[in-house]
Amino acid sequence: MLKATNLGLRFGGREVLRGLNLTIEPGEIVTVIGPSGAGKTSLLKCLSLLEHPTSGNLQVDGEGYAFPWPEDKKLVAPWPMLTVVFQQLFLWPHLTLRENILLPHAAAAKHPPARDFNRVVEVLEMAEFLDRYPNQVSGGQRQRCALARAILLKPRYLLLDEITSALDVLQVAKITGFLPELAKQGIGMLLVTHLLNFARHTSDKVLYLENGAIVESGSKSILSKPKTPQLRAFLRAAEVAS
Amino acid sequence: MLMTALEIIWEYRVAFGQGLLVTLQMSAIIWLLGIGLGTLLGWYAAGHTSSVGRTIRVVAFVLSGVPTIVFLFWLHYPAQAMAGVVIDPFYTAVLTFVILNIIGVSDIVRGALEDFPKHYAVAARVCGMSERQTFRYIQLPLLLRGIIPGLLMLQITMLHTTLFASLISVEEVFRVAQRINAMIYKPVEIYTALGIFFLCISLPVNGLAIYLKNRFTRDVSER
Repeated sequence: MLKATNLGLRFGGREVLRGLNLTIEPGEIVTVIGPSGAGKTSLLKCLSLLEHPTSGNLQVDGEGYAFPWPEDKKLVAPWPMLTVVFQQLFLWPHLTLRENILLPHAAAAKHPPARDFNRVVEVLEMAEFLDRYPNQVSGGQRQRCALARAILLKPRYLLLDEITSALDVLQVAKITGFLPELAKQGIGMLLVTHLLNFARHTSDKVLYLENGAIVESGSKSILSKPKTPQLRAFLRAAEVAS
Repeated sequence: MLMTALEIIWEYRVAFGQGLLVTLQMSAIIWLLGIGLGTLLGWYAAGHTSSVGRTIRVVAFVLSGVPTIVFLFWLHYPAQAMAGVVIDPFYTAVLTFVILNIIGVSDIVRGALEDFPKHYAVAARVCGMSERQTFRYIQLPLLLRGIIPGLLMLQITMLHTTLFASLISVEEVFRVAQRINAMIYKPVEIYTALGIFFLCISLPVNGLAIYLKNRFTRDVSER
């Protein structure tokens, strides 16, 4: 279980995240929605321990992290058991997409089973461009590569930041079907997305974040029956925008 | 003219050979110490941007405004007079050019390290790669792609700079050429011969720099 308790993050005098509580069970898909600047990406960075929260606790399976983290103590993050796909993707530009996917395995001298590799390549429709470099493919193709790299690491918790932002509707539909398949394998996921339909189809739980705090959370039914005026206003705005 | 140049090279092959040996000795020391110490200094400076990094930037900026020959003369005459020592001109020249090379190399290395996009390393770490693996497979190859062509071009420049050593009586190949010219007065042929020497050394290094640039520094920016 990935559990955040009373998690807070401050930058200077600004409170970016405030008293956040959330739990991601293995095999569960939790979606975070909210307006720009709500703190979604900061939350993802804190949960992945790329950013150290300034207060609160984080528990990743048996391992506990209490913040503020002592300056003289090295924080050993549980990567890649917990891993992230960033919105900006961060593929290594000197390697082909195939090498990008396989390098973490090659470095650890543990190659993923060919069956898993082929399955991911098939689902994400990557066979045609696997041997190209990141700057020789489209944003959507890069996005699929970053996703494939993370999935093949067999994480227990996968944090995904706007992974559909560069994908067309057909690819979004494919991934919408693929994420529950990953969840069935026991991978707990946290998705940050602005696509409400994507959230409706994939989520077990939805969190609505605004000004660094969770305003409303619950099952995906909150997307059709919001309780708070903030989420209602956000959904109305999202409907107009779409 | 080329034939005459080759004939002169052959006739004075012993003198040219000795001069060339001195030039190559100087270059080897300048390259080895410059690249080795410059890389270490650049590395250290990148990790200490507020202290060493700033100092190196200032020194590089100042030295870029001082002609090499002035710096060489300054170390050869006033600096030694002030210190009350007499140093062999060969070592004075080597010291001068090593300092310049160290500063140049460290500036290239420091710049490349400071500009290195941190997110590539972050992506590696969240994929479970250790710091050492991240350095070996991600940072080092990307850094070398950025550094090597500039570094090789700087070394060619340093090779050419060794000509200034003749001005403080170092018996390197240019001084040998001057002496031969004083005896037979055939400047066109002699300096053509000298050009051939430098082309023979510079072209392979230049070719390597171009090869590495084409091979490794392809445009990696995303569309």
